[in-house]
Amino acid sequence: MMTESRLKNVLTSGKFAVTAECGPPKGADPEVVKSKGKILRDHVDSINVTDNQTGVVRLSSLAACALLKAEGLDPVLQMVTRDRNRIALQSDVLGASALGIRNILCLSGDHQSFGNQPQAKGVFDIDSIQLIQAVRKMRDAGEIIGGDKLTGAPQLFIGAVANPFADPFKYRAARLATKVDAGAEFIQTQCIYNLNRFKEWMGLVRDLGMADKVYILGGITPLKSAKMAEYMAKNVAGMDIPEEVINRMKAAPATEQRQEGIRIAVETILALKEIKGVHGVHIMAIEWEEAVPQIVEESKLSPRPQA
Amino acid sequence: MITAERKPIKEIKEMLAPYRKILVVGCGSCVAECAAGGEKEVGLLSSALRMDAKASGKEIEIREMTLDRQCVYEFIDQLTEVIDQYDVVLSLACGAGVQAVAEVFPRVHILPALNTTFLGETKEAGLWVENCRGCGDCKLGVFAAVCPVTRCAKGLFNGPCGGSKTDRCEVDPDVPCAWQLIVSRLEDTGRLDLLRKVHPPADWSKQQGKGPRKIKREDQRT
Amino acid sequence: MDQKGLGITRAILFCRQLDPDQDVNRRAIEKELGSQIRFFPLPCSGRVDPLYLMRALESGADKVYLITCPEGACRHREGNLRAKKRIAYTQGLIEEIGLDRERLELIITSAGDRKTIDELTRDILAREGVTSSVNPNDADIEK
Repeated sequence: MMTESRLKNVLTSGKFAVTAECGPPKGADPEVVKSKGKILRDHVDSINVTDNQTGVVRLSSLAACALLKAEGLDPVLQMVTRDRNRIALQSDVLGASALGIRNILCLSGDHQSFGNQPQAKGVFDIDSIQLIQAVRKMRDAGEIIGGDKLTGAPQLFIGAVANPFADPFKYRAARLATKVDAGAEFIQTQCIYNLNRFKEWMGLVRDLGMADKVYILGGITPLKSAKMAEYMAKNVAGMDIPEEVINRMKAAPATEQRQEGIRIAVETILALKEIKGVHGVHIMAIEWEEAVPQIVEESKLSPRPQA
Repeated sequence: MITAERKPIKEIKEMLAPYRKILVVGCGSCVAECAAGGEKEVGLLSSALRMDAKASGKEIEIREMTLDRQCVYEFIDQLTEVIDQYDVVLSLACGAGVQAVAEVFPRVHILPALNTTFLGETKEAGLWVENCRGCGDCKLGVFAAVCPVTRCAKGLFNGPCGGSKTDRCEVDPDVPCAWQLIVSRLEDTGRLDLLRKVHPPADWSKQQGKGPRKIKREDQRT
Repeated sequence: MDQKGLGITRAILFCRQLDPDQDVNRRAIEKELGSQIRFFPLPCSGRVDPLYLMRALESGADKVYLITCPEGACRHREGNLRAKKRIAYTQGLIEEIGLDRERLELIITSAGDRKTIDELTRDILAREGVTSSVNPNDADIEK
């Protein structure tokens, strides 16, 4: 089963990529994953599957990716370093490739204290940058951490995340550069609501010469309601939602707020398309996958290329 | 120093239930400095235990003792003459002290009265903070003397994570983001370039690779 | 001698600065209540150690009072603030062994109302419901 990463093909052919996110269920039912895949199919190039996001136990990212792959989709395996040591992580990297998964996104993961297992031991044997480096070496040099040779190298398009809105701001672009040095080939960013700050960050990224070295996909999360906007602004670490965005959501009548959220998302995507060095968008419609087709359509990003 | 906190008295009482004659032994070193297991705390705990026993009609006998150090044989030896007169030793030492006493007296029942917590600094009166994990491979030199293993909630070597906002840790807003401290200290001292290097995975075998660690110095041995 | 009260044994720890003549002023009450009251003058209420409070309870006091200078009036600046924290700490400890935290009580005297130690003690007794027919002057005469 020799397959290729659709995401990689779209990006390397110079097209504007669209990825979306699928959160696996808090249960063992494969149909939940498949039905989310069905909603997103034909509207996006690839689908990220989160890895026990916010430290909440869910169906494993690897298994959900395999389910999506079997449906003919191109999954992006999210892998956090919070729950597994380097033995388990490298083993899963090999397993993912063997299952035909062609994309991996390396993260450290939300701290376990935020989830439903706050008494868990946080592993953090290695960090996200060390994971990027390890996967890159597995793929390109066919060796694992420590130098042992693999009998066959994994085939993976390697991604990382960036948060242009966290502090210390000046260091954030340099951090992206370190991830690229470590081996990241694409970047998905934190949700963008503060376009000015994002543009400022992209300027720093370009100054470091990174815009030509890595594909950057801007993060988009459509807001469902003014309440959600306020909650996220206040409670989600590293989230930057300006007052005017919250006010705009508030100004819309309750029944219209979802559409307003979609409108904001579309406007943001249209703006991102004009920024030099932005190569695509990553739409994280949290438990609202149905919104993705409309957003893609209205952002003039459909149909998706055959890749 | 090693810091510790007293266990809830309920838990101590449950452990002590089968015993009548109790030798309460404090330690005058680290746990005295952090007001958990010194002479004073031995007095307080013993007093509380006596009052509690009296109220519940239980007869107990307590002797209070505090050693300068409960982790060094020369001091532990002070217990030799009295220990046989007691049913149990309730130790207010750190985990190392409890085990050191147990090893010297293999037949004696010994119970911990403290929860040993961390290696830390007395930041101000009544405030102790953790800043060393004893990883066995100190990298403070490249991290501007701020330990990311200990002070970053995720122990990131190539931090900061995406959650730091206005220099606070996302896990606990009372705690400064260690990486914010590292970045600003390196910036202030003109060494920010140190962070462009990718730090390879840590060698945790120096911390826990082969079970308990040991330091052996021939020049110090007799 | 029912004015000797309800059979309560009290320990009264107090800052000596409150009453320069405490030594003399407390004699009448000490005589009156005998073993039911013990006074412990402290150089400053901040010098109180939780261990003193525990020892007082352990040696039979039903109730331990700590009387401090008014807030802001401590000559060691924050002695009485420390006293407050120590009481709170010890209250936590005795609660762990099932004692009522009210067995330890902090009394902060008020700034405008300077009283001698015997007056302060009579206020306490009055609050406990012990009415004393003996006034300090009578006691002095008895002596």
